[in-house]
Amino acid sequence: MSGEDRLLPQWLRYEDTSGPLPARTDTLVIGGGIAGTSLAYYLAKGGVDVTMVDRGELNREASGTNAGSFHIQLAIHQLPAAGSPAGDVERLLQEARQNLAAYEVWNALDTELDIPLGVHLTGGWMVAETEQQLQVLHEKRELEQQAGIVTEVVTGAELRKRAPFLAPDLAGASYCPQEGHANPLIAAPAYALRAHEHGATIRTHVDVQEIEQRGDRAGGRFLVRTSAGEILADRIVNCAGAWAADQARLVGLKLPVRREGLHVNVTERRGRLMDPMVQHIGRRLTLKQSSDDTFIIGGGWPTPAAPPPRRYPTAWESAAGNTAVAVRVIPALADVRVVRTWSGVIVFTDDLSPVVGESQLVPGYHACVASTGFTLSPMLARRLAEQMLDRDGAEPFPPDHHLDRAAARTGS
Amino acid sequence: MTDERYDVLVVGGGPAGLAAATAAADHGLRVALVEERVTLGGQVYKQPGPGIVVRDPAAMGREYAEGRSLIDAAEASTATILTNTQVVAIERDTAVLVESDPTRPAAAQPARIVCFARIVLAPGAHDRPVAFPGWTLPGVLTAGGLQTLIKAQRVLPGRRITFAGAGPLALAFPAQLLGYGANVTSVLEAGPPPRPGDVLRIAGAAPGNRHLLQDAIRYRTTLLRRRVPLRYRRIVVRAEGDGRVEQVTHAAVDRDWRIVPGTEQTEPTDVLGVGYGFVPSVELLRLAGCETDFDEDLGGYVVRRDDWLRTTRPTVFAAGDGTGVEGSQVAVAEGRIAGIGAALDLGALDAATARRLAAPSRRQRDRRRAMTRALRRMHDVGPGIFDLATPDTVVCRCESVTAQRLSETIDGTRDINVVKALTRAGMGPCQGRTCQRQVASMIAARHEQPLGSIALATPRMPVRPVAIGALADEHVGGKTLFVRQDDDADVPAGELTDEW
Repeated sequence: MSGEDRLLPQWLRYEDTSGPLPARTDTLVIGGGIAGTSLAYYLAKGGVDVTMVDRGELNREASGTNAGSFHIQLAIHQLPAAGSPAGDVERLLQEARQNLAAYEVWNALDTELDIPLGVHLTGGWMVAETEQQLQVLHEKRELEQQAGIVTEVVTGAELRKRAPFLAPDLAGASYCPQEGHANPLIAAPAYALRAHEHGATIRTHVDVQEIEQRGDRAGGRFLVRTSAGEILADRIVNCAGAWAADQARLVGLKLPVRREGLHVNVTERRGRLMDPMVQHIGRRLTLKQSSDDTFIIGGGWPTPAAPPPRRYPTAWESAAGNTAVAVRVIPALADVRVVRTWSGVIVFTDDLSPVVGESQLVPGYHACVASTGFTLSPMLARRLAEQMLDRDGAEPFPPDHHLDRAAARTGS
Repeated sequence: MTDERYDVLVVGGGPAGLAAATAAADHGLRVALVEERVTLGGQVYKQPGPGIVVRDPAAMGREYAEGRSLIDAAEASTATILTNTQVVAIERDTAVLVESDPTRPAAAQPARIVCFARIVLAPGAHDRPVAFPGWTLPGVLTAGGLQTLIKAQRVLPGRRITFAGAGPLALAFPAQLLGYGANVTSVLEAGPPPRPGDVLRIAGAAPGNRHLLQDAIRYRTTLLRRRVPLRYRRIVVRAEGDGRVEQVTHAAVDRDWRIVPGTEQTEPTDVLGVGYGFVPSVELLRLAGCETDFDEDLGGYVVRRDDWLRTTRPTVFAAGDGTGVEGSQVAVAEGRIAGIGAALDLGALDAATARRLAAPSRRQRDRRRAMTRALRRMHDVGPGIFDLATPDTVVCRCESVTAQRLSETIDGTRDINVVKALTRAGMGPCQGRTCQRQVASMIAARHEQPLGSIALATPRMPVRPVAIGALADEHVGGKTLFVRQDDDADVPAGELTDEW
């Protein structure tokens, strides 16, 4: 057991999350992942009467089933299909800056919540196997520099010296000292606990099934029918992550999000081999040795779908392919045993930009949904809360974050 | 994807698996029998390990002979026998096999995918894990562990052995130990002493089970003759020692196996054997998607099956103790029924013939079952068995999670997956095989729910740890893997993903 674990708080009691729904609330937050719990926290702290519901338990989907990495360097899934970042500079710059802003929030979060969240700044390598991939590393480094992200490209003997765990025949790797991770199993529960202490009502096993829009009638703009009864709300924030599109449909909105199951492998504990995260610029790999000394190996390998409440199954092919990339990059993993796999359902927005803010089509209806949401959500939720609290200087989100963008494009 | 195909893949080389493989192979089907250990026989018919030669089979006892004849039949059949091989995952009509020869590097034993038309899962059972203070001390062994040492390795792990347990093994096993020359200093049975009524019930249920009755009497007589103190209605409360067990404390229990205050006694010992019955090893069955019910008398979570022992997954059969602990006789009968059922499904037999062939096995099973039910009063597991852990007792030994940490977390949830996420209990190499029932019972107690209503954690492959060198495959992936699989047969259309 790690030392941090001993300092963990007493989590919310069952009785704290299982009482009846209030008859009305100012703001109803739908979804108990990192986005919903952090938003509930920031709103409650700002004095808003907020109720947060989840159809199941807290933190059971992407927020608790990702690997907890902070991705600061531009990664393979952000790059245009051609592989070179040259064609998409503006978007990539914006994403890079956003990642940095998100990390600043994370870095202060242990203190803000007064709970050890396992935030560690470990640095991260992004490896290239071929000369062509090495070229991409050089190109993306220039972009990252413009955005204020520190990276360097390292090759040859220096790489072998600084990262002796990497295979000696790699073409090179870029290093970013700003990358790291937090414990995804604790972050959302920590937010929920503090939100509750600030007066937020947290309810689990409440499935939002219908939303009636009542215009400006007294009592609340929305009448929300749930598996646990009705609740009136003036404002709704859709934090349903991978299921955000299903939720938005209840008010007639079309959100540009879809979901995908991603496979992750976990090994037995081994002696400390490495601290930094390792990614690959040309193949799907994210790998780190956790603070529990297990290796967590993922990076975007798919799993089949299954409807809730079933969990997405894992996939042998993904395990085999994913670990093949891992052992190619870190040969010492060959005799390390995989003891467990899991599958997380991750949200992808159409253009990888977050969907955050208030809808113009349905006033009062908000959303806070992002791909790589573990990294981004605390920052996005804090900014959204500031806007909802009408704080002076609350910075508006850029237009491409708008949640009506899919509707605007289809002309409806 | 793979050229290795079987009509029937049988997983588990114990009595049920041996019988299933033999029965299916008898009808001309292409059969493979997979066993993770180096020898066939399973736990009950465990064979001496490599390098040990049996010169005088008659001296080995009836159990050895029964096991040997099942093994001989399977080996004489056309079934391909794959020992030292683990099934670590099942996905639809494929299973992933990993060879586990410890003398060769993992990369030299790559995992392979084999296809099956039907699979018979006969995973057997394992000792019911019971967490009490000191249960993780060296020298505290499960009945199964002791048995393996003795049957496969011919090793007695200490001079003085205390045995605590319940059910038929609580008597049979210490008697066996005596036969191997062990010094059993005391035997504690959590259940009540037999009453004349029990003997009558057993006798009434026992036509054809006479030898079992004889065994029970023989075990008891052996213990009495050797003056081994045999005490009923007592359980082990804690084990203590410096670096290994040196003494055990036991106490009287009531009907629910709850401790009667003021009845504690302490005695010195070298080895504490613990055998509070068995629980079905349902990991592979759950991974295959088979639905389970709950029946404490059969060991807890048990898989649901039809007359031919098909599970709720139509291509998956299940037989033996892994489906509910009823012993080797029922396991053999079930193995035959499942083997015949698979042959029926695959058209190797017509329905009438299958029924006729399976009838004797069904009768054998029913007869043995009547006996089990008659003995039930003596075998019921009391809920008090789960209350022995004190706050600092480690419940999840892979991840060193204490009862206190679990209790605090269970205050917030009824969901075992959430408890797992917040405490790491069940995340280690055993994947919760050891601690999960204890955690479930803690949830049930805190939230006043029946134990059977607490769902187990999501099953995940691999069911046994697999070295990356064996698992990794550079050749998977390509184009098809990354195309979204909208044709997932398990999922109703429309449930898959959004239309985006």
